[in-house]
Amino acid sequence: MQNKRDVIASVFLIVIGIAVLLWSIRLQVGTLLRPMPGFFPFWVGFGIIALSLVLLVQGWRGRGKAPKAYGNWQRPLIMVAGLAVYSVVLDPLGYILSTLFIAAITLRILGVLSWKMIGVSSLVLSVSVYFIFTRLLGVELPAGILSFLG
Amino acid sequence: MDLFINQLHGFSIALSPLNLLYAFVGAVLGTAIGVLPGLGPATTIALLLPVTYTMDATSAVILLAGVYYGAMYGGSTTSILLNIPGEAASVVTCLDGYKMARKGRAGPALGISAIGSFIAGTIGVFLMAMVAPVLARFALKFGPAEYSALVICGLLMAVYLSEESILKGLLMMLIGLLLGMVGIDPVHGEERFTFGLLRLTDGINFILVAMGLFAVSELLVNLETPAGAADIFKTSLKGVLPTRDDWQKCWAPIFRGTSIGFLIGVLPGGGAIISSFMAYAVEKKFSKHPEEFGQGAIEGVASPEAANNAASTSSFIPLLTLGIPGNNAIAMLFVALMIHGIQPGPLLLTEHPNLFWGVIASMYVGNVMLLGLNLPLIGLWVRLLKVPYHFLAVLIVVIVMIGAYSLKNSAFDVGMIVIFGVFGYVARKNGFPFAPCVLAMILGRTLEQSVQQALKISGADLMIFIERPISATLLALIVLVVLIPIFKRVWKRTC
Repeated sequence: MQNKRDVIASVFLIVIGIAVLLWSIRLQVGTLLRPMPGFFPFWVGFGIIALSLVLLVQGWRGRGKAPKAYGNWQRPLIMVAGLAVYSVVLDPLGYILSTLFIAAITLRILGVLSWKMIGVSSLVLSVSVYFIFTRLLGVELPAGILSFLG
Repeated sequence: MDLFINQLHGFSIALSPLNLLYAFVGAVLGTAIGVLPGLGPATTIALLLPVTYTMDATSAVILLAGVYYGAMYGGSTTSILLNIPGEAASVVTCLDGYKMARKGRAGPALGISAIGSFIAGTIGVFLMAMVAPVLARFALKFGPAEYSALVICGLLMAVYLSEESILKGLLMMLIGLLLGMVGIDPVHGEERFTFGLLRLTDGINFILVAMGLFAVSELLVNLETPAGAADIFKTSLKGVLPTRDDWQKCWAPIFRGTSIGFLIGVLPGGGAIISSFMAYAVEKKFSKHPEEFGQGAIEGVASPEAANNAASTSSFIPLLTLGIPGNNAIAMLFVALMIHGIQPGPLLLTEHPNLFWGVIASMYVGNVMLLGLNLPLIGLWVRLLKVPYHFLAVLIVVIVMIGAYSLKNSAFDVGMIVIFGVFGYVARKNGFPFAPCVLAMILGRTLEQSVQQALKISGADLMIFIERPISATLLALIVLVVLIPIFKRVWKRTC
């Protein structure tokens, strides 16, 4: 039995290690006694490649602990996609609308079924958090297109 | 005498109304997140970091430290009542604690774990007050060569003592070093791995990594199988006080657990989890009736609970005296100190005595508070488990996102958190331990600096690492740490 995930992880890490090696050569490596900026990155990259090769061989032979199973992976995936969108729309749309959106997604994927319930609680949450943080705690949050609300 | 005066001085700081309040909030939050399986101490401290920006450094550490050792109290509650460890350090408590609860003795099990935790915590703080100044004075002699050896030793121990694969631990350590290198090189001032992005020239902000790695990835893992409202089996919680017979059985295990916990807690990567397992194993060996272990032996609850508390206390020692954080939660405290412009290390004690003694005193106070919070109010904490997870999840999302954004008012940072969250999720799922990555990222820059400084002092002579006795001892320790698992493997193969 091959440990597929270890094989994938090691290949991925080897690619990163090679990139690090190339980059550090561009930074100039120097020697142990006269290290240049690329010296430490070079050996870190080298270490990553060497250890990943060991992991690759072990994984190929099916050694190592069996990995933890992914449970329902759709929910984390939706969450990550939602958060990625959030980071993009946060400035243009503003805090209240973006947070309304991400809170609704979180509630929905966690099994809150009633849209009315989702809508009301997300709205209350995002508006109250916005005003608590900007007015009471002095944290700056983007107002976005709702800036006319003050 | 000095010790006495210093501790008294500490109490004058810790007992100020504001600091009392922070210790109390820390204790309450710590117990709460200890009870909740979906939130660990490292995550909680990461979430609280932005709150502490405006606080005084001493108060900030008092609050955050309270969360950490408070979690050790709360973690046992769910282990005993539900067979679900609220914290990783309370896994062993499930074995006998849950059996005791099944036999209708949940009360004494909860009672002895709170009392054991209290005794261990208090003794731990006392020992720390004695040991830390000595260690700090010793560490003042450390030059760059000693410091380099110490950091390498600490990192490797964190790898070799973690329960996951050593190979993966080493890889995570290297990734951590790599992440720490992003930005301007500390020696030559050249940009490294910034991809030409202006935002990366200052390096990757550690708070972002911490929030992503701990908070976001924990959230993602919990999303896979959100815990439903817990099914708490009904048991009478009357009489949390252990009987005289229980006392007789438990006082020795509590003290043994305390000693084991204190010693293991000092080691990087050691800490609460390993020490609780060791304490359990030792108790089983010491016991005249080992067959009762696993069937509801009260010693099997008392000793590990004492151990994890003593360990969480003593893990502050390397942070405050050497500047080496030994586990994830302590690493967050390292960051909290850095935010306030305080460099954890041997100078901390002399430069910021108020912080050091104030925090120590607050830990005595915090332990008393926790005993009060946990013994009579256990029923209240258990009810926390009925809070539906989606409520918690939304709260975490909102807090993390505000925390990330408010660092520099930048949505770019929010994106970074998401990236580190995904990295953390994949790492968790595939058995890559975090602690080495986090510690390496924190310590990497200073390691690089001190190695180069050491070489400069010696005129590019490597012998400096071997000629100096402390550094040589540490290097010998490193070799030992690396060789032991190899020997073990060879041994296993030949037998």
